Amino acid sequence: MAKDGEKSGWKEYIWNPRTREFLGRTASSWGLILLFYLVFYIFLAGLFTLTMYVMLQTLDDHKPTWQDRLSTPGMVIRPKTDETYEIVYNVENTESWDMYAQALDKFLAPYNNSVQAEKNNECVPDQYFLQEDSGDVKNNPKRSCQFNRTILDLCSGINDRYYGYQDGKPCIIIKLNRVIGMLPSKDGQAPFVTCGAKKEDSDKIGELLYFPPNGTFNLMYYPYYGKKAQVNYSQPLVAVKFLNITANQDVNIECRINANNIPIGSDRDKFSGRVSFKLRINTIN
Amino acid sequence: MNLAICLLLQDDHEITIEELETRYNTSVTKGLTSTFASQVLERDGPNELKPPKGTPEYVKFARQLAGGLQCLMWVAAVICFIAFGIEVARGNVTAFDNLYLAITLISVVVVTGCFGYYQEFKSTNIIASFKNLVPQQAIVIRDGQKNQINAHQLVVGDLVEIKGGDRVPADIRIISGQACKVDNSSLTGESEPQSKTPECTHENPLETKNIAFFSTTCLEGVATGVIINTGDRTIIGRIASLASGVGNEKTPIAIEIEHFVDIIAGLAIFFGFTFFVVAMFIGYAFLEAMIFFMAIVVAYVPEGLLATVTVCLSLTAKRLARKNCVVKNLEAVETLGSTSVICSDKTGTLTQNRMTVAHLWFDNHVHAADTTEDQSGQSFDQSSETWRSLARVASLCNRATFRPDQEGVPIPKRLVVGDASETALLKFTELTVGNIMDYRNRFKKVVEVPFNSTNKFQLSIHELEDPLDLRYLLVMKGAPERILERCSTILIKGQELPLDEQWSEAFQTAYMDLGGLGERVLGFCHIYLNEKEFPRGYAFDPDEMNFTTSGLCFAGLISMIDPPRATVPDAVMKCRTAGIRVVMVTGDHPITARAIAANVGIISEGSETVEDIAQRKRIPVEQVNKRDARACVISGGQLKDMSSEELDDALRNHPEMVFARTSPQQKLIIVESCQRLGSIVAVTGDGVNDSPALKKADIGVAMGIAGSDAAKNAADMILLDDNFASIVTGVEQGRLIFDNLKKSIAYTLTKNIPELTPYLIYITVSVPLPLGCITILFIELATDIFPSVSLAYEKAESDIMHLKPRNPRQHRLVNEALAVYSYFQIGRCSFAGFTDYFTAMAQEGWYPLLCVGLRSQWENVHLQDVQDSYGQEWTFSQRLYQEYTCYTVFFVSIEICQISDVLIRKTRRLSVFQQGFFRSVKTHPKHASLGIMYLNSTQLVQWWFVPVPYGILIFVYDEIRKLGVRRYPGSWWDQELYY
Repeated sequence: MAKDGEKSGWKEYIWNPRTREFLGRTASSWGLILLFYLVFYIFLAGLFTLTMYVMLQTLDDHKPTWQDRLSTPGMVIRPKTDETYEIVYNVENTESWDMYAQALDKFLAPYNNSVQAEKNNECVPDQYFLQEDSGDVKNNPKRSCQFNRTILDLCSGINDRYYGYQDGKPCIIIKLNRVIGMLPSKDGQAPFVTCGAKKEDSDKIGELLYFPPNGTFNLMYYPYYGKKAQVNYSQPLVAVKFLNITANQDVNIECRINANNIPIGSDRDKFSGRVSFKLRINTIN
Repeated sequence: MNLAICLLLQDDHEITIEELETRYNTSVTKGLTSTFASQVLERDGPNELKPPKGTPEYVKFARQLAGGLQCLMWVAAVICFIAFGIEVARGNVTAFDNLYLAITLISVVVVTGCFGYYQEFKSTNIIASFKNLVPQQAIVIRDGQKNQINAHQLVVGDLVEIKGGDRVPADIRIISGQACKVDNSSLTGESEPQSKTPECTHENPLETKNIAFFSTTCLEGVATGVIINTGDRTIIGRIASLASGVGNEKTPIAIEIEHFVDIIAGLAIFFGFTFFVVAMFIGYAFLEAMIFFMAIVVAYVPEGLLATVTVCLSLTAKRLARKNCVVKNLEAVETLGSTSVICSDKTGTLTQNRMTVAHLWFDNHVHAADTTEDQSGQSFDQSSETWRSLARVASLCNRATFRPDQEGVPIPKRLVVGDASETALLKFTELTVGNIMDYRNRFKKVVEVPFNSTNKFQLSIHELEDPLDLRYLLVMKGAPERILERCSTILIKGQELPLDEQWSEAFQTAYMDLGGLGERVLGFCHIYLNEKEFPRGYAFDPDEMNFTTSGLCFAGLISMIDPPRATVPDAVMKCRTAGIRVVMVTGDHPITARAIAANVGIISEGSETVEDIAQRKRIPVEQVNKRDARACVISGGQLKDMSSEELDDALRNHPEMVFARTSPQQKLIIVESCQRLGSIVAVTGDGVNDSPALKKADIGVAMGIAGSDAAKNAADMILLDDNFASIVTGVEQGRLIFDNLKKSIAYTLTKNIPELTPYLIYITVSVPLPLGCITILFIELATDIFPSVSLAYEKAESDIMHLKPRNPRQHRLVNEALAVYSYFQIGRCSFAGFTDYFTAMAQEGWYPLLCVGLRSQWENVHLQDVQDSYGQEWTFSQRLYQEYTCYTVFFVSIEICQISDVLIRKTRRLSVFQQGFFRSVKTHPKHASLGIMYLNSTQLVQWWFVPVPYGILIFVYDEIRKLGVRRYPGSWWDQELYY
């Protein structure tokens, strides 16, 4: 009995034919309240849009307001597998390293001398390529310096199409993350990359060869002016070639940037100013 | 009456004493042996009423952990654990967030559970502490020796002695007794003392005269008896256990909160499930979708709410305890606020439970005495010579004495040996004449004749103060008509005038007037005995009365009443304005009851009963239209003959009701009738037999001083000072807490929307997560607890005691308007959060449009060079750090809006400017906590200011809303926007 009453109560709540109420409100009541909320939310949305617009107006197009998160730029390596920083392949198995070579080919394509010559300028090396705005007059677009693929020499993939992977002497390419306005240096000279094995692997790493020589990032590639002003900016690269790394064993390698004015990143960030990866070359011989 | 049936099986009252001795292995002269007594004690347990068997402690605790919201949180925690397990198995480092979240969730449930348990535990303890207040002593004869032991040590077969003033320590078969009278009112409700004799007079143990029952009081005389039942096996024990079997009905606020929690839990699951489906549909992995589900539940459930409600209620309970109301059941505080009828006892609750001289009649005038508790009232003119004589008679013709060593105690509070009216006279004369003991010593008493029911007077003969005056003074007091019979003269302004017709008439009028006030009137007269006839040393014989007892000189009348407590008329008035009916239910005489009712305002001035109208119009009672009579006095006898419909009718037609000469059982009938009429009824009671009424009532109020344990057990609230005014305070606090809880809940609910929307946007638009779960919990449980509790301290907006009681079916704690207004209007501070979030992102290099759809890249642990809008590249840790900044920024926005929110929630109708901005000082911890927490980042300070316009907007908007509500009551605006 009580249950029936409850049921009809519910039914009545959803649609009460007597008072013509749907969910406890008549049509006009619903209309009024919905109109109220419509106006209310249009107003709020307008206000939100307005504040967003005003906020965007206050932003500089070429330099973010804050860069405190990026005081230590990140470092990454190429080639990169999908998920992890591990380069594992079998010398005898072409398919296992071919993808690395292809990834590098793809990555280096914009660095082809022809492309660089077409888009970028030749700059004076070993000094910052400053292109300051004069007051309100923007000096845009800003020019970029050429980073020719040939600088990478043995690791350029021009002479050695497979970047040494086929004979167990692979090339790894390292780049420093772009940060607007960053001027890295080491005692006034260009900052450079050094790679080394982690403790227990130090005897396995063998000889290394850096391209360009000493693994420097030339000063002329700095500062970076942002993708809007410096459309064709070519990020400088450093290639490392492992000449006689111990085969058939995991070798943990860490590369870091050497510069005075780049703070050592926090311990928690494994990729700020340094990069770690694992290299394993399997071979039958 | 199954109680009577089970009692009939017992024949302890019918068997002979010898049989009794053998049955219980005792002796009616020597009692039990100590060793046997201790054996029986071991077998039967102590002689005390076991408190009704409570739920085991672990069940209580478990119940705290398994509420509706708690279950949701358990589910959320389990999901977190599963997610953590799977992520760790996959080698994901950030998975620890899930572990922390799970741990936080569990600790939240456990901590709030402990908190709730502690509160419950504490309130149970208050009750427990009452019981051990006064350990009862009993005189027992064991091994032929009289000992005084604790009453709970008594066993069946013990031979005990009771005397006037004792509480009967167990059910006793009387062996011998002298003029023993017992007040059975706590058991049967009859206030007439019952005499107890060794003879068995009835086969029903309840009726027979040779059994005295546990917890009744022996009024006078002495008796010895053998204990036949102890502890829970006593009659009272059985009644008490019957009463505890009656389930308590749920308090209105418990229903409200349950209702509310159900809705919240339902909505949380609905939202969670919807977005789970949406997430699966969009293409998230199952695990991710589960985490979304969990996050939505966490965001939507107001974790801090239960703690807030409990804290608010217990704060009020504490405040009430300071005002002498101990609340046993926290939720009863609020029930009290919705009370619409109070059925109140008279004696002790409305009155001071102390006979006090109220009026005097001398010199042909009625003089009012000061009846206030603290003697702050007006006194009367004491210059007349007649007053001096009257005071002398009243002082001397009085056998009552103060107990020694009470010099420091105020006179009205001193303990006195003597009956109620003598006590009243003693205190009265002590107050007006001063130092009566000394005064009496100056008039040496020669002889006295105590009061008895045949002659109805009391007299004593004294020597005079002046040693040269050798006359004796005879003073007499008694029933006025008897006194008048013996008088031939009357004192007027110190002159002895012959007592003629005219004075007799004046006396009669005064006597009727005072009697009509429900007062007990005594007449006083004196005479100086002729020194020739009665020289010094004359042998007065009190039995023969060999002296003048007529032709006396009438001095005056003194009338006494148990006066109302000073605070009661005001309190009744307050109830009246608050739309609460006060119904008096008393065992007293109808005239006295009516007089007191009129005195305290239960029957207001000018209200008439049917009988009054009949008398005024000179028509028979039957012809009076009952609806014309506002007041009605119904005696227990009439009530017995009324059907429940008639009683309902009477309650409906007469707003001012007094029930006199009622038994506690009839109280239950009255309560039920009120409840049938839809009222929320508060009932006061003290006797054991009141416990069913107390249980039946929506809120039972037991008396702390006069109340029995059974009444206290059955009650929801205990008045430590037995004062009616305390109930009214309780009502006021109850109403206030209802209003304040409403504000508090509205405040708590508001932030659920800004907590929820980040997730919704995160899932649907795939922006980096603006607000993390742990931050949500931090808001819920750390920063927002203080302000929401502070709202409990809010003063009332208007005179809440001028409003009608709330109708529990219409005015709910959480209604649609409140939820809608909180969620959809004030909840818009999520816009503030998003403004601030997008600002913080954009200023770091991530434009709003880039953020949309960024989620998968942003959260990819292996991507160390994600480009922002400026072409800069970010590692995962840098992005994560930025995400934490966003949490903070969103958090700050919510907090800024909540500061605004707590300000607007201070009032529902009045402008905050009218109420005063910082009346509740407790708002401030919030500002402090805000300041301390996130000072580490410099640019954060500026992000604090981004949501400020929204905060101001909320404030201004709500002021406009309140203005509309105030200006146009009943309008569309009022209906839709007033919660």
